[in-house]
Amino acid sequence: MNFGFLQTRTARKFLRNKLALGASFIIAIYFVFAALVMCGLITLPQTEERIGPKHIPGFYGHARPEVRLEQVASYFEKVEIALDSTSPEATLAEIKFGELRVANKSLEELRQIVDDGWVFYDELTEQENLDVSPNVIPMIEKFEQKKAELFAPMTDFQATKQMIYLSLGTDRQGRSIALRAIYSIKVAFQIGAVTSLISVLMGSFLGAAAAFFGGWVDHVVIWLYSTFSSVPNLVLLVVLAYTFSGTMFDGTLVPVYVSFCMTFWIGPCRVIRGETLKIKELEYVHAARAMGFNRVYILLRHIIPNTAHLMLVNFSLLFIGAIKSEVILSFLGLGVKKGPSWGIMISQAKSEVITGYFWQIGTATIFMVGLVLAFNILTDALQDILDPKHV
Amino acid sequence: MFLTQTFARIPWAYTVRRLVYNIPVYMGVILLVMGCLRMHDPIYSYLGKNATEQQYEKFAEKSGLDQPFVYQYFSFLGKIVTFNFVDDPSWDKPGESVGELISKSIGPSLAITIPALCLTSLISIVVGLLSAFNRGNLFDKSLVVTAVLGMSVSFLVYIIFGQYFGAFVPKQHFGYDIFSVSGYEPMFPHFPTSFADIQYAINTWCYYCMLPVMISVIVAMGYDSRFYRAVMVEETGKDYITTAKAKGASQAKIMFVHMLMNAMIPIITRIMTTVPFLITGSLLLEVFFGIPGMGRQLILAIGAKDFPVIQAYTAVLAAAFIVSNVLTDVLYAIVDPRVTLR
Repeated sequence: MNFGFLQTRTARKFLRNKLALGASFIIAIYFVFAALVMCGLITLPQTEERIGPKHIPGFYGHARPEVRLEQVASYFEKVEIALDSTSPEATLAEIKFGELRVANKSLEELRQIVDDGWVFYDELTEQENLDVSPNVIPMIEKFEQKKAELFAPMTDFQATKQMIYLSLGTDRQGRSIALRAIYSIKVAFQIGAVTSLISVLMGSFLGAAAAFFGGWVDHVVIWLYSTFSSVPNLVLLVVLAYTFSGTMFDGTLVPVYVSFCMTFWIGPCRVIRGETLKIKELEYVHAARAMGFNRVYILLRHIIPNTAHLMLVNFSLLFIGAIKSEVILSFLGLGVKKGPSWGIMISQAKSEVITGYFWQIGTATIFMVGLVLAFNILTDALQDILDPKHV
Repeated sequence: MFLTQTFARIPWAYTVRRLVYNIPVYMGVILLVMGCLRMHDPIYSYLGKNATEQQYEKFAEKSGLDQPFVYQYFSFLGKIVTFNFVDDPSWDKPGESVGELISKSIGPSLAITIPALCLTSLISIVVGLLSAFNRGNLFDKSLVVTAVLGMSVSFLVYIIFGQYFGAFVPKQHFGYDIFSVSGYEPMFPHFPTSFADIQYAINTWCYYCMLPVMISVIVAMGYDSRFYRAVMVEETGKDYITTAKAKGASQAKIMFVHMLMNAMIPIITRIMTTVPFLITGSLLLEVFFGIPGMGRQLILAIGAKDFPVIQAYTAVLAAAFIVSNVLTDVLYAIVDPRVTLR
């Protein structure tokens, strides 16, 4: 393989920038996760699965006693409902919390454990000031041991899996926050890569063509981008997303893609148009013209490749924009509709924050900040190296 | 004296030319908006799939959607130009016209955007100046890091935490009702005639709008102060600064007189380019804090598939945006005599 490109001025400048290298490393890690999710590390149904009671705190911590008690009780409730149903065996077999399955015991035994559990529960609820009295914690722990008797012992592999599921807590519906956050990396990359790639290519081509051909092409392109940029960004996004909701694309990411692309192409178009105005007066373009090359050929072969550095900077900028706009659109109910995304997680967390549960919003934010921060640093470095005149 | 000087420097011909140039752009905007909203039948999406043919036709006739597109286009354009939406009823809120809805919601929107714009610009210019002047030391470095970090957090997170720690926690846990968690009341229930009225206005503003404005300022600070810092850093290297230093001008004078004046062009561009950000920012803030401004009305209308309202709001917001763009160009000419107009 040829590593000669590492010796170019630009590459050496980049390699000297430690911060930018670190940022690229972080982006690479995110990318690996996104690729793994694509390959089926986490599937969509897995992220929708119930793995435990709602609002379990992350890092295997415990909620305050009152909440913790209810969380343990919810396991008993589920088993009790199954026991009372018309076909207990079948219903019991269906119960699963992540890797937890109901123990292979007779119905009477299970009934006995549940009844024992409720005795603990009643004892605990009779106490006043559950959150402050000192002897509550040991009692809850006993209650939890009873709960463990309900379920079949797990193998090491299963236990590790369950540990990972629970590592960052659960959301309002008892779904694993860790799984959802990791799955969302894929969604973010999908939206970011698709929309920024398309809009950069579209914008660059239009911008370069406008500047190179001049005349009515230029007028039309300027009119087009002035028109699109005259509607405030988010308003345009919202209206476009609304346009596609309720069509056959509803539920897919297509409305998000279209609205982002139609909004984002303006930035690169402007920049590349300015750059092309400069490039087209350079000697090599004149030379190409004198040699009688087709104008479209010159545009595609000589002009657009020479704006690649600006395209790269813009791609990185738009990637950030796409990830951040996705959050806002999802909150407004116009973005991602099926499956998790950081935007969905943050907007769902809105009601949890009031109860003092921060794990969902915290996780989504930290995952997002990691990626966006890395891209911000990378963009800064790229801008310094490739486009130093830009303020 | 200053006013007359400024007034004399407004390039009227240029302003008019800019406005005229924006007419085809605005017509394009209207075309875009109207086209987008008609991509799938607005009447069906409002009435639902079970609507009968008769209902549909009645509705179409009432709202003028049965007319040819060209007719609709020009009649809508006429309504925008004369700002006459009086006989354009909202679908979702019977009895209220689109015009009424817009005029009701402009006030609350301005109550947030204008203070936010002024405060953000003021604070971040000062911070940017200080940071540029102390380039390389701890203050500057920590500021740059904070700005980049702050930029990476979603706006939504700021709002959620701002609302929780700013309004909810003080109220629920400490009993201080400083800021409203959500809601709005008009600042001027009637025309202000006495000092008490003004006091009332300030109190209500602080209670309902202060927190959203603060959040908006904090969010915008990251972007703006970084930008102003870059602008100022570029200016510090210029010759006139060296000259001023050699002549013995004080640091404060160099910073606030020489540098600030020369950096005015990028500053004004920046302030004006934050206007759309403010509109979008206030959109989220309004939705979250229940302030009945333009952004929230638009989102509500989208939720209710209230077609005439969506159309009119988008058009009005775009008009405001274009006017602010023209204003930027004119301000350049006033501020910087080097700008030559063509």
